[in-house]
Amino acid sequence: MPKVEVSKKDMEKLVGKKIKQSELDDLLSYAKCEYESTDGDIIKTECKDTNRPDLWCAEGIARQIRGGIGKAKGVPEYKIRSSNFLVRVDPNLKKIRPRIACAVVKNIKITDEVIKQVIQMQEKITGTFGRNRKEAAIGVYDFDKIKWPVRYGAYAPSKLSFIPLEMDRELNLLQVLQKHPKGREFAHLLEGHKKYPILIDADKNVLSMPPVINSNHSGKVTADTKNLFIEVTGFDDQTIHTALNAVVASLADRGGNLHAVKVKYGLRDNVVCPNFKSGKIKVAIANVNQLSGLNLTRQQILENLKKARLNASISGNTLLVEYPAYRQDILHEVDIIEDLLVAYGYHNLESEDPEIAVIGGELELEVLSRRIREFLVGFGAQGVITYTLTNKDKLFNRMNIKNQKCIEIANPVSQNWSVLRNWLTPSIMEFLGNNTNSEYPQMIFEAGDVVVPNSKAETMSDTVRKLVFAKAHQRANFTEIKQILKTLLNGLELEFEVDELDHDSFIPGRVGLIKVSNKIVGIIGELHPSVLKRWRLENPVALFELNLTELLKLVV
Amino acid sequence: MKDIIKLADSLQDNEIKVLRAFKPKVDHLADLKGLPKNEFLRAGMWLDNKGLIKTHKTKTRWIQLDMLGERYVKGKLPELALLALLKKKPLPLDTLRKHFPQDELRFAMGYLKQKGYVEYRHGTLAITDTGLKVRVTLEFKFLLKLAKLKEIGVGTLLPEDQYAYQNLKKRKQLVREVERTSIHFTITDIGKKVLQNLSDEKRIGMITSSIIKSGSWEKAKFRRYDVSAPVPKVYPGKKQPYNQYLDDVRAKLVRLGYKEMTGPLVETEFWHFDAMFQPQNHPARTWTDTYSLKSPKYGKLPSKKLVSTVKVAHETGGKTGSIGWNYNWSEKVASQLLPRGHGTGMSARKISEKPAVPCKYFGLGRSYRPDMPDASHLIEFNQVDVFVIDKNANFKQLLGILKQFAKELAGATEVKFVPDYYPFTEPSVQISAKHPVLGWMELAGAGIFRPEFTQSLGIKEPVMAFAFGVDRLAMYKLGINDIRYLFSQDLDWLRKEKIVK
Repeated sequence: MPKVEVSKKDMEKLVGKKIKQSELDDLLSYAKCEYESTDGDIIKTECKDTNRPDLWCAEGIARQIRGGIGKAKGVPEYKIRSSNFLVRVDPNLKKIRPRIACAVVKNIKITDEVIKQVIQMQEKITGTFGRNRKEAAIGVYDFDKIKWPVRYGAYAPSKLSFIPLEMDRELNLLQVLQKHPKGREFAHLLEGHKKYPILIDADKNVLSMPPVINSNHSGKVTADTKNLFIEVTGFDDQTIHTALNAVVASLADRGGNLHAVKVKYGLRDNVVCPNFKSGKIKVAIANVNQLSGLNLTRQQILENLKKARLNASISGNTLLVEYPAYRQDILHEVDIIEDLLVAYGYHNLESEDPEIAVIGGELELEVLSRRIREFLVGFGAQGVITYTLTNKDKLFNRMNIKNQKCIEIANPVSQNWSVLRNWLTPSIMEFLGNNTNSEYPQMIFEAGDVVVPNSKAETMSDTVRKLVFAKAHQRANFTEIKQILKTLLNGLELEFEVDELDHDSFIPGRVGLIKVSNKIVGIIGELHPSVLKRWRLENPVALFELNLTELLKLVV
Repeated sequence: MKDIIKLADSLQDNEIKVLRAFKPKVDHLADLKGLPKNEFLRAGMWLDNKGLIKTHKTKTRWIQLDMLGERYVKGKLPELALLALLKKKPLPLDTLRKHFPQDELRFAMGYLKQKGYVEYRHGTLAITDTGLKVRVTLEFKFLLKLAKLKEIGVGTLLPEDQYAYQNLKKRKQLVREVERTSIHFTITDIGKKVLQNLSDEKRIGMITSSIIKSGSWEKAKFRRYDVSAPVPKVYPGKKQPYNQYLDDVRAKLVRLGYKEMTGPLVETEFWHFDAMFQPQNHPARTWTDTYSLKSPKYGKLPSKKLVSTVKVAHETGGKTGSIGWNYNWSEKVASQLLPRGHGTGMSARKISEKPAVPCKYFGLGRSYRPDMPDASHLIEFNQVDVFVIDKNANFKQLLGILKQFAKELAGATEVKFVPDYYPFTEPSVQISAKHPVLGWMELAGAGIFRPEFTQSLGIKEPVMAFAFGVDRLAMYKLGINDIRYLFSQDLDWLRKEKIVK
């Protein structure tokens, strides 16, 4: 979730009121932000809504707070002045980065705080909402350095050079991707293309190479800049226009004048932006009180929606709601009802205790696992919990067996945790191996899950509850572990047999399959010294592993 | 006096033996006949602890045979061997060289010449008259004595031994000195009083079944134990503390009327994301980091009918009253497998089974996230997912449910609600609770499941839901500040861990 820093002084100016420290929680909550900390004049806050890029800056937060405290009502209105600014889009960009949304903002006083907020907003929007510039990359330019019309075209890397930001010499497009830090960071977004997107003006001055870097010529904004050109590139119009509208609304809130730009994709394919036409949605009035639990009159509903910076009117039993063009998160009437609740203030809500008479209960498998854990504690054994993630070396090689099929992770954070275990014994061996300095005898057990591949299952695997009980000490042996097994299974009123088995983890002739009602439910044996050695164990280990999921079916 | 008798009655057999060895004339004891040295010392230590005797430690030095010394006592010292050889006839140096190593020969010749036992002339060594009378030297005598006694105290040497020892000390590896601490005890005044009060009665130490059966205890006294004495450690069998805590959580949820649900650890994206109306290829999908699988990569989708309802909800909203996410929904993406990153897929599965309304469910289980483990992160964590379906469910009731949970499961007395965002709930809320030490703590994320989610799975009524990570609650409850201890791989720590309150 985006974390945003705002200046308190700036906020007070934008909201139009002094802000007390004690009010911050409630005020920020109108913008779905959570107060984190104050550092001098800087307020740090976390924006909760990852689908509301309009709220990730001081202006957007202030806009929402003004609604919450009654300083402003309804959908904010932004006047777009018509103009002749034109951006021509090269059809060759179709498969590279086809769409662009633009605006011109004039007569804005650029202070350090404005620059800080613009940069922060650009970072947050392109990072979270724009999926790290893939879906939306924002460029901000000094309007007065641009000669119109502007062309958004596809250029071969070696045929064009410009001085990128933070450099003092010309680089061709390939060099930008190789040499500029931003080039290296975002080169993957242009991978596989023979031509790269370029914004270039009528004087053949490059504005930028989206989504990578601006040019030094016009792509630099300073305190001397008075007029701005802003563009957002990407693939999906809804995404880029939402991002553009969020940015320009903020600049308009600071007094900038918005001017339209015509984006020409083809002969008859024009888009004029920014477009602040409100979205519309209908809400059944009855559903507002029903879902919120509030008891509001129609008038109160309308008032609260206006506080939420929405417009609303009533037609019969339906609310006609309009929402601002910088929002794309409204899909359903529930979205409007949440807006109403946020504007009403979560801090003003009284909770209500529902009266639902139902009976609780645990899963049978959990009951069985718990009963077994309690039973085994009676033998003086220590319960343990180990991780279900492990690696193939531990599951197979260290257990002296051939690799088996198991669930493998494509993006592990470490090879140590790269597969899900398909049996529990290796985890217990690892535990014993980690505790050779602890006093012996050691007696431990775990009832935990493993994941066994199964091509017939919906998820190609079964989650299976296993139990391992292990003894490690100077004379640990088959007999004593079988005594525990017998006591446990007899305690569950089950008769069992142990059949001979070949298994390389165990000493030959001292390992068996555990069967209940002719079903295989586990394995029991003395670990082979070659396995012990691989876990750096110097004491004998005897253990059994039982399938509790299977056992549960037999217990009933 | 009572204390003296109590003391006397608490003595063990060996302690009594040692104490009784102090007689009017014996006030100093370094060993005791009939008692092995280690038992003697141990009994002495116990008596000292009780203040009956006093331990004195003195350092003494002892002479022992060294490596070469050991060898020579089996034969002769080189000087004596040379003398014996010359007794037969004078011998030239060249011949002698064949009999002795060079060092030994040089030393032995020097030694014998200095004593006047031999003469060296024209390359030949001959014995003198004095030499003929010599049988043994003082040095060799001393070595033999050492061999017999094993060691001799430095302070107890006779004058001739002193002379021999000084000479031998100059030679390499014949003798060595070791330092040893010797212990002796003297009796204290209390000791003397206890000694006077020792009765001759037989005292029972450890009570055994034969003592009980024979009735011998009827005439005997029981030795008193020092009940305040420390004892060796034993370790009980115990449940893993975190498991114990999870059992408590489960029990509380059941008491609050929740039924338990479950789901697989490896899940399809369908149940993990799509069924919950989280759009594919959209930031909302990655609100939390997840793993993906190398193999197997794809799972199977549920019934065609369910899949197509979910598809329509994503694309156009379908009959759910929504406009949908407006994109082409892909079955392939939905069938991708992943180790679950949250447990809400359990809720989706349960809701799709259309449970009878009203109902309350919880699922408690492991989830995975790609974090390097450290004091506050684990690669595997436990999450509890809860939902409640009721035809009258609303947001204020959700807050009521959350308050109850905070009070019952986290012991919170003060809570606050702030707006929150999840792609699958609307309205959404986060509950925080005030912890007396840590301040405000986020407890759970909650909301009412989006209708696109629940209606597509066949439930018309509103579904109130919340999820919380139990790990942090458990850390607080177990009093640990490193989250890795929840899955502690340290047996000593587990053995010592307190009973979960």
